[in-house]
Parts: sequence; C-alpha cells; structure tokens
Amino acid sequence: MEQEKLRATNHYLYYPDEKDIPAYLAYGFRPVFLLLAPYMIITMILWGLVWAGIINLPFMNDTLTWHVYEMIFGILTAGSLAFLTTGIPELFPGMVPFVGKRLKYIIMLWVAGRVSFWLIDYLGVYIVAALNLAMLLWLIWYAKDAVLDKLQRHASLGYALVGIFVIQTWFFASQAGLASTDGMTILKAALGAIVVLILLALRRVNMEAVNELMEDKGIDDIYLSRPPKTNLAVFAVILFTLVELLYPQNSALGWLGLATGAAILAITGDYILKDEFILNQPFVLYLASILVMLSAGYALMGWALLDDKMDSINHFRHFITSGGVGLAYLVVMIIIGWIHTGRHLTSNIYTHLMIILMIVATLMRSLIPFFEEYMSELYLWSSIVWTIPFMIYIKVFYSFLLSPRADGIKG
Amino acid sequence: MKFTLKILKDFPAYLWSGWGAIASILLFIALWDMGNQIYGNLVLPSPLETFQTLIAMLGDESVIAEIKTTLYRASIGFGISLVVGTTFGLLAGFFATASMMSRPIVTILVGMPPIAWIVLAMIWFGMGDETVIFTVIVASFPIIFVGSLQGTRTLDGDLKEMARSFKLPWHMKFFDVYFPHIFSYVFPAWVSGLGMAWKIVVMAELLATSDGIGASLAVARSQLDTPTALALVVIMISSLMFVEYIILEPIKREVELWRS
Repeated sequence: MEQEKLRATNHYLYYPDEKDIPAYLAYGFRPVFLLLAPYMIITMILWGLVWAGIINLPFMNDTLTWHVYEMIFGILTAGSLAFLTTGIPELFPGMVPFVGKRLKYIIMLWVAGRVSFWLIDYLGVYIVAALNLAMLLWLIWYAKDAVLDKLQRHASLGYALVGIFVIQTWFFASQAGLASTDGMTILKAALGAIVVLILLALRRVNMEAVNELMEDKGIDDIYLSRPPKTNLAVFAVILFTLVELLYPQNSALGWLGLATGAAILAITGDYILKDEFILNQPFVLYLASILVMLSAGYALMGWALLDDKMDSINHFRHFITSGGVGLAYLVVMIIIGWIHTGRHLTSNIYTHLMIILMIVATLMRSLIPFFEEYMSELYLWSSIVWTIPFMIYIKVFYSFLLSPRADGIKG
Repeated sequence: MKFTLKILKDFPAYLWSGWGAIASILLFIALWDMGNQIYGNLVLPSPLETFQTLIAMLGDESVIAEIKTTLYRASIGFGISLVVGTTFGLLAGFFATASMMSRPIVTILVGMPPIAWIVLAMIWFGMGDETVIFTVIVASFPIIFVGSLQGTRTLDGDLKEMARSFKLPWHMKFFDVYFPHIFSYVFPAWVSGLGMAWKIVVMAELLATSDGIGASLAVARSQLDTPTALALVVIMISSLMFVEYIILEPIKREVELWRS
C-alpha cells in the first residue's frame, strides 16, 4: 500500500476541503476526458460524413477552415485543461488542486465554446471568439505559476500557450475581417505552435511515465529525456512553421521539413538506455509512436515540396494532426487514466488496439495521395476508424473516471 | 572478438543516435537552398540540382574510375603515413631525447604549407601519382606522429609500476594497461590524419594531375560547371563522413569507454 501511494500523490496534502465533491469533478482530468472522448467520436464522424459528401454543414461558407479550427483549438483547450490542472499541482507541490465547483464552471466554459462553435452560423464569429479566447486565457492564467516559477523549469509550456493565444486571436480577427491573412495560413501556424507545445509536454510525460514504468517492472536503469534534443526539434518546428507562413512554396521549406522530421525522430534515441532494453515495453512504443508520426508528417511534407507534389502536402499533414497530435491526446488520456486514478500503468489488448487503430486511421487519411481512386471511401472510413480508440476508451476508463481513486486517496 | 561483437551490438543504437546530426545537416542544406535563391544557379546551384547531378554522375563509369583513382592515392598515402607515423611516433615517445629532437622537425613539417609541398613534389616527381601520394604523406604524417608520440610519452609511470609489481604477464601488460591509453591518443590522430589526407589529395590532384576527383574539379571550374563541382565536393564530404562516423567513430567509442 505504501508503494501504491507514491505515484501521482504530490497534490494530496493540499487537496481542498470542499465538501461532497463528486468523483467526476475530483480532479481536473476527469470531467475533461469524460467529455472529450464522446466529443471526438461524434464530431469526427460528422466531419467524415461531410468530407465524403454525405452531409453539408455551412460554417460561414468555409467548412474546411472551421474543421481545422475545431480540431486544433477546440480539442487543444480541453487537452491543455486536463494536462495543466492535473500536472501543475504534481509538479509544484503546495499548489491547491483545481477541483469541484470551480472546475465545473471552467468545464462549462469549454462546453459553451463548443456549442457556440457548432452554432457559429447563428451566433456570429464574435461570440464564438469571445468564449474560446476566454477559455484559452483562463488556461494561461492558470499556468502563470509555472511561467513565473523562479527556476523556470516548466515556463516554456506557458510561453507556448501565450503564442497559441496570439495565433488564435489573429485567426478570429481574420475571420471577422479585421486581418487580411487567410484563415488556413494562420491555422497552419497554429499547428506548428501546438506541435511545439506537445514536444515540450511530451518531454515531461516521457520522464514521468517511462521512469514510473521501469520502477514498476523493476527495470534498473534511468531514462532521461534530454532537453537539447527536444530543443533542436522545437527549433526546427518553429523554423518550418515560420517559413511556411511567409514562403509556403519555397524549396528551402522542403529541406526544413526533412530536417524537422529528423530532429523529432532524434528524440526517440533517448529510449535507448545505457544498460537496459525498454523498447519492448508497450508504453514506450506508444509514446514513441507519437514522435514517429510527427516526424513522418514533417518529412513527407518536405519530400512533397521538393518533389513538387503540392497537392499531397495537406494530406501528409494529417500524419501530424490525426497521427501525432491525436496519439498525443490519446496516450496522455490513457496514462493519466491509469496513474491518476490510483492504478498501475497497465497495457492490455485494449490499449494496444487504441494505439494501433489510431495509427491505421492516420495511414488511411494521410496516404490518400497514393490511393486517389478510393479518396471518398478513405475520407469516411479513416474518420470512423479514428473514433474507435475513443469508444474503447469509454469502455475501459469511464468507470475509473466516475469512481474515486483506487488507492483511496483524494483526487 | 568480444570487442568486435560489442561494437556490432551497439551499432544500431549508435546509428539511430545520428538523427540529430542528420537534422542539423538538413538545416544546413536549407540554408544552402536559401543561398541559391539569393545568388542564383551559376554561383550556387540548388541542393536538389546538385544531388541530381550527383546521382547522374554516379551512374557514369568514367566518374567512378576517377573516384577510384583518388581513393587509391589517398589510401596509399594515408596508409604509409599511418604505418610509418605510428611506429616512429610510438618509438620516439619512449625516449625523451627523441621526443625533444623530433618536436621542432614536426613543427617545420606542420608549418610548411601543403601547397609548397605540392610545388616541390611536382619538381621532384613530375605530374602523376607519386606527387599526390607524397603530398598526402607529408601532410598527414606529422599529425599521426605527434599523436602517437603523445600516447607513449604520457604513459602513467605509477601504472607501469603497478603492472610490474603485480607481475602481470606481458600480454596483459600490453592489452590492459598500455594499449587503452596509447590507443586513445593514436586513434584520434588517425582520424584527423585521415581527414587531412582526404582534403590534400583533392588539392594535389587539382594542381598536379589530369585524373582523379581533383582534376575533375579543375575541369568543372574551367567550364563554370558549378553543379558538377559541388557534386564532387559532396562525394568527398560524404565519403569522409561515412568512413569517420560509420566505421571509425563506433570503434573509438568502445575504445574510450574506460575514460568515463
């Protein structure tokens, strides 16, 4: 029992006294994952139907832009909400966990943002902008302690969020006619910022999860996610994003894409430890798959640019979005779903299936340029396959999310 | 045998650790591409064009013959430097007088610009293989000599003492006490010597012969054929990188493990 209590319990001493907190509001990640999984399923199937030409959604006559917007910002705010409210109290002991009523209000703000998004044709862009920007602003305010921390250990996460806030404001300005840049161009920049955020967050998740896993399995070695490697990848991603923003068709961008792919793949080198072999551990492979997908996306985009296959670029970009970003959310949902509900990090047929299906869906979506004759089938089926992991998530993790921690402590 | 197996076992992990290096090379190529966009194709051909030229060249048998000629000269020159430089260097390191005496001579050899050697060699040997090989030897010999000299010079007297007092058999004395120390000096010297040989061979060929990569480079220059010139440079750099990072570096890592 003593051993059980060691994991993810830094917040415990400072848990608020609020009475009668229901289990689903007992910690930041719980309500988010409860809502995010079904939201992913429903909306992704809707988008699949739209792209296959079966249904039609107006979205200010620019469905594609708004689809990208929602997949980037709508999901990001939920993911960051879960990540920050769960992670910060653990990283900075002494900080009071954000739970109960206050958590409920913030969740309602996120839900309001989603509802307003789907009703944008009736509500207009300003209401949607206000609700969604407010949500992101709250996240930044919440992360302020990390940014202002004297040692600046996790400040980069905060700066990345501020960058994303600026980009989102710019996007709404362009949609409201206040800025002249094309919406899609801004969203590509937003994706770059999100990849940066994911790389920064992944470094922390990697350190926690992989070492936890090794301790669990009695593997006597230490895993270090080295900052220089992450920094090189972040630098390459920022460079690629900036050049794409300013010179989207430039051939130098092709080389930058290849460089970014290599830089991201370099991070996986950390999984090769000095003494022990951990590449046979499922969770290590899950985490590595995020990096492999991101890397493949950038490398293939680079290749497409150099080979003058401009049409393929946005298909290959789905290696980053559906693949890397999607897996990042999914893997974090799985890891937090186990550890922060007071359980051991466990892999089983369900977790394997979740990861594999998401990779399969990504391949189906991203490799459309090679199978153009099946384009509309692939649009539809890749969306459907992509949602199955979240259905499995509901089956496996909903009961954990809805009940108190298995080890009996609060949170 | 165990040693070789260890190198082979660690090789995939070593190879995988190269992604960061590949990333920075690709970033550099992106910079090169920018240079092409600023200065135009004549001054700096685009990396893509260069690589396409390179692939076309590698399909051409006459180019392969030139590469072989250059490789032959570089390896003969470097091989002689390696054997002679290492032997004499190690020996000189054992004797304080020899080290003292050889130092100024080495300074002269290192200080003499290779281009001057080429001129002298052209007078002595005429235009041909000997000139190039000679220049390669004089350029890489001092580097290897000094490295080997340092290797034996800096042997730890206490360790020698220890080996003697434990009455270690000669092979243990050599492989476990002297060899790791000496090798950690000699090996880096070989690597730098090889780098030097690789650069000098092209320069000597450019000035003194009518075949080899250096001569092809001279032809490309006179025809203002920048893509070919750059492709030749790429061949030289990538072959050096292959030898250095794929063959020598893994060995060096294993050999120097004892340092950490």
